Amino acid sequence: MMIDHGEGPAGVRVRRALARSNLESQRIGPGTLRYGLSVVSVAIALGLALTSQYYQFRDVGVPVFALSIALTTWYAGTGPSVLAILLSTACFDYFFTEPLYSFSVSSSDLPYFFVFVAWGIIVGSFSAVRRRIEDSLRQARDHLRVELEQRKQREDEIRKLNQELANQAAELEASNKDLESFAYSVSHDLRAPLRHVVGYSELLQRQASSLLDEKSGRYLQTILEAAKRMGNLIDDLLAFSRIGRAETRKAAVNLEQLVREVVAELGQETSGRDIAWNIGTLPVCYGDRSMLKVVLMNLVSNAVKFTRMRAPAEIEIGSTDIKENEVEVFVRDNGAGFDMQYANKLFGVFQRLHRSEEFEGTGIGLATAQRIVHRHGGKIRAEGAVGQGATFYFSLPQAQYAAERSANTR
Amino acid sequence: MNGLGRILIVEDDPRDVELTLTALEEYNLANEVVVTRDGAEALDYLYCRGEYSSRSDDNPAVTLLDLKLPKVDGLEVLQQIRSDERLKMIPVVVLTSSHEEKDMIRSYQLGVNAYVVKPVDFHEFVNAVKELGVFWAVINQPPPGSIKKAS
Repeated sequence: MMIDHGEGPAGVRVRRALARSNLESQRIGPGTLRYGLSVVSVAIALGLALTSQYYQFRDVGVPVFALSIALTTWYAGTGPSVLAILLSTACFDYFFTEPLYSFSVSSSDLPYFFVFVAWGIIVGSFSAVRRRIEDSLRQARDHLRVELEQRKQREDEIRKLNQELANQAAELEASNKDLESFAYSVSHDLRAPLRHVVGYSELLQRQASSLLDEKSGRYLQTILEAAKRMGNLIDDLLAFSRIGRAETRKAAVNLEQLVREVVAELGQETSGRDIAWNIGTLPVCYGDRSMLKVVLMNLVSNAVKFTRMRAPAEIEIGSTDIKENEVEVFVRDNGAGFDMQYANKLFGVFQRLHRSEEFEGTGIGLATAQRIVHRHGGKIRAEGAVGQGATFYFSLPQAQYAAERSANTR
Repeated sequence: MNGLGRILIVEDDPRDVELTLTALEEYNLANEVVVTRDGAEALDYLYCRGEYSSRSDDNPAVTLLDLKLPKVDGLEVLQQIRSDERLKMIPVVVLTSSHEEKDMIRSYQLGVNAYVVKPVDFHEFVNAVKELGVFWAVINQPPPGSIKKAS
C-alpha cells in the first residue's frame, strides 16, 4: 500500500470549492448590485448630510460621506469604491461647498474641497487595505482548513495501515505458533517411529544374523543406515528451524577467538591430516556468539571436509575491510571447489553439489549459516571453481558501529 | 552395590516399552520394573490407587518419565510428584523424544533429576537406558522409603 503524500483528489476538490466560495464572498452579487450599493450608500449619506444641515448640525458632510465610501469599499470592492468617491465628491461639491448648488468651487473653499477628496481617498484606501488583509486571512484560514482536512485523511490512512499491520502481526504470530507446534510434533512424533525402525532392525540383526544370507544382511544394514540418516536429517531440520525462532542475544564477539575455538573443536576430524592453517587477524563484531560459532563451525568444517584429498590442505581464515560499519570474514580452502553456475544453490536447504559417496552431509550447514548471517543483517556469498577450492565470505555489523547505533536508538 | 531399586517406567508407546525392557534385560535390570502406560496410571501407582491399591506403599527408586503421554502428560506428573510431600523425593528422569529446549527448561524448573533425549541409534539407546538403570537402580542410594530388593 502507498501513502499519498501529495493532494488526493478529495483534497483538490475541497480546495477548489473553498476558492470558489472565497471569490463569491469577496464581491456580493453581480456588478450592478455592487455599483447599486455604491450609489445607494452615497445617496443615503447625502440624505443624512442634508437632513443634519437642515437641523443646523455643522460639518456632518465629511464624516458621513467618508462613512459611505468606507462601507462601499468594504462590501463592494474597488470599482464601486471609486464610484462612491466620485459621487461623494460631486455631491459634496454641489451641496456643501460655496457656491452652493453648482459644481464650481470657489477659491476660498478649494482647500476644504481638497481635504474632503483626500479624506475620501484615504478612507477608501484604508478600507481596501483592510479588505486585502482580511482576504489574505481568509485565504490562510481556507488553506489551513484544507490542510486540516488532508491531515485528517492522512491520519485515517495511517490508522488503517496500522490496523493492517497489527492484523499482519497477529497472523504472523499465529503462523509462528503453527510452525512451533509443527516443529514440536516433528521433534516428538517423527523421531519415535524412526527409533523403532532402527531399534527393531538392530534387534532383528542380532537375533537372526545367523539365518540371513549376505544379501539379506545388506538389506537390513541399508534399512538401518537410511533410518539413521533420516534421524540426522530431522535433527538438522529442527536445528535449522530453531535458529529462525530462537531469540538472538547480541554482544561484542571476538571472531578470532571464536575461530580458534572452532578449529580446536574440529581436532578429531583434522587429526592425521596435513592441514596448513592460516588464521589472520579478525575483527570484533556484534552478534550472538553461539550462533556465529555455528556459522564458523559450518564453514570451517566444510573446508576441512572438502580438502580431504589435498596434502597439504590449505585453509585460510581472514577478514577484508569492505565498509566502515561492517566486517567481512572469509574462509578459503584449496579443496574440491564448485562450479560458479550452481553458486545460488549452495545455500538452499538440503541442497548438495556433491554426491553423498564423495562427501557426507545433509546439505543444511550452509543454509543454517546463511539464515544466521541474515538474522544478523549481514550477507553471505561464495566464490569457487571446480577443483580449485572455494572461498566463503560473510559480513556482519562491526561491534563499535552496532554499539553506537543501539546507543542512539535507546 | 546393595540391591536393585524398583524402576517405574511411564511410557505410552508399546514399542518404546519393549525396546526399553529389552535394553534393561540385557543387563539384568528388568526384574523390578513397573510399566505404566499413561500419566494417570503412573499417579495411580504412586498413590496406590485403583488397580495398585493393594501394593506396598514404598516409592520406586527411580521413575523414567516420558513427556508426551495420554490423559495426564509427563510434566503434569512431574509437577504432581514434586508438590506432594510423600512423593517429592522420588528421583525422576525424563526420557523423551523431545529435543525442544522449552521442555527441558520446564522439566528442570519442576525439579527433574535428569533429562535424557532418546537417541535414534539403537546402540546409543540401549547404552543410555542401561546407564540410567545401573545408575539409578543400583549405584544411587535412593531416598528412604524406596523399594529395594536385596541382592
